[in-house]
Amino acid sequence: MDDITWVDRIDLFLWPLLSAICAGIVLPMVGSYLFVRRTSFHGIVLPQFAAAGVVFAYAILGWWIETIGLGGLTLDAALHDPHAASTFGLIWGAIFTLGGILMLVTTGQRGGSETARAAAGFAAASAAVLILGRMSPIGRGPVDELLQGEVLGVGVHEFELLATALIVVAAALIWFGRDLLLTSFDRETAVVLGKRATSFEVLFHTLVGLAVAAGTLTLGPILVFGLLVLPPFAARRWARSMPRFVAISAGIGLVSAIAGEAAALEWDLPVGPSVVMASVLLCLPGLIARRGG
Amino acid sequence: MPNLLRLSGAAFGYGGRSIVSEVDLEVHPGDFLGIVGPNGAGKTTLFRGLLGLVPPLAGRVERAGASLGYVPQRESLDPIYPLRLEDVVEMGAYGTLQGTRRLSLAQRLAARAAIERVGLSDKLGAPFAGLSGGQRQRALLARALLCEPNVLLLDEPTSGVDRGAQRRILDLLVELNARDNLAVLIVSHQIGLLREAAREILWVSEGRVERGSTEALLAPERLDRLYASAPAGEDEGLDG
Repeated sequence: MDDITWVDRIDLFLWPLLSAICAGIVLPMVGSYLFVRRTSFHGIVLPQFAAAGVVFAYAILGWWIETIGLGGLTLDAALHDPHAASTFGLIWGAIFTLGGILMLVTTGQRGGSETARAAAGFAAASAAVLILGRMSPIGRGPVDELLQGEVLGVGVHEFELLATALIVVAAALIWFGRDLLLTSFDRETAVVLGKRATSFEVLFHTLVGLAVAAGTLTLGPILVFGLLVLPPFAARRWARSMPRFVAISAGIGLVSAIAGEAAALEWDLPVGPSVVMASVLLCLPGLIARRGG
Repeated sequence: MPNLLRLSGAAFGYGGRSIVSEVDLEVHPGDFLGIVGPNGAGKTTLFRGLLGLVPPLAGRVERAGASLGYVPQRESLDPIYPLRLEDVVEMGAYGTLQGTRRLSLAQRLAARAAIERVGLSDKLGAPFAGLSGGQRQRALLARALLCEPNVLLLDEPTSGVDRGAQRRILDLLVELNARDNLAVLIVSHQIGLLREAAREILWVSEGRVERGSTEALLAPERLDRLYASAPAGEDEGLDG
């Protein structure tokens, strides 16, 4: 891309770049809460569930249109209508993600190894993605793109969908942040203080489901789990209060998104993995300081 | 004297199975009650029932006159959270706040006063997880005081802290009880400390609750008799 100016590159890839920046800010905010709840591994497993949901949506699209209908669209029209296809994918991605959360939470209450459960869930979801990808009427190409985090094909509609979902998630995390913190840090005290702890738990898991499903549908699972896990990991060293932890995580996510996108455009690399690698590099100062300290 | 808490024929348990039953109890201002009993006897279930964390399976629980302050076991709070001492104490005011509304100046000042009262002013700004066990316990006490309670419920507040810290916590509770007429209910295995501070004991055993004077229920010969058949180590912490 040596002969294209940076202005042209940004103009050409505006929606993918804005999508990654939105995700770079909001997903680490969600990841901060997963980190303090010691459920960061959810950030690795859930995007895989969401990816399985999205691929499942494509696999059943033909049957769905024939049997139930999708706003009067034919299969061909639905595949060429970004609104119909991505909204349908988002719904199934969210259903699979919330199902994954429900499975992890309910089986977690019975004790046993959380890591083993997460690993089993990841294996099952990964296998489902590959099997369902073969059954997809749109072929394996878009599924492979989704899995590899190649986000340059993101259009204005996908961006609008992602931005809407992430704005809702960010607003809820800010509005209910204090209550979400109290109910996860000290649930019993929250109840004694009159807080509806169960409602806040459901709200939190719904926000995670929405963010992961919208992020995975638009940007793929690699970028989503990278941004959920790495920026909070890098930020924890430097944060002394929860609002600062969330803000530093979001800042690191934003810098990772911008740096990763710049590297991807400069050296013709896939955007998702480039953003994740930028995030890994930003983790290094924290790791070195921890080792030194 | 007004009732702060009143239980009439109350039963508490889980999954429909009662663990403590037929509990009749009144808590008045100035009461200092120790909740004691063998492991698995239902102390924690009764305590959680008093707090409203477990609904009664039978009978009545009246808390109309009570403003509860709760001090959990500090081990139940994960040190991974990036919280300063004042962040934890200010949580005591969260019950009055909705959405992004910030603590009022009066609430912030009250939080500082509570921190000062428990003797932690020099630790302002320190990470909660970096405090010693006794300091964390006092921070949780300051948080409970921020709710302006008339009943203070504490779960093993002196376990796992050194003798000096135990003494400071106990002195503070005795002072709050005597000066502010605060009712104090404390679950503890540390019989020696309860003998010093508690005026009455709720003895929980085999699903029943017996109330009596500290001298009578914690008499060494009675405890020797009750724990005589317990295998070595089972009565760990009953350091009476």
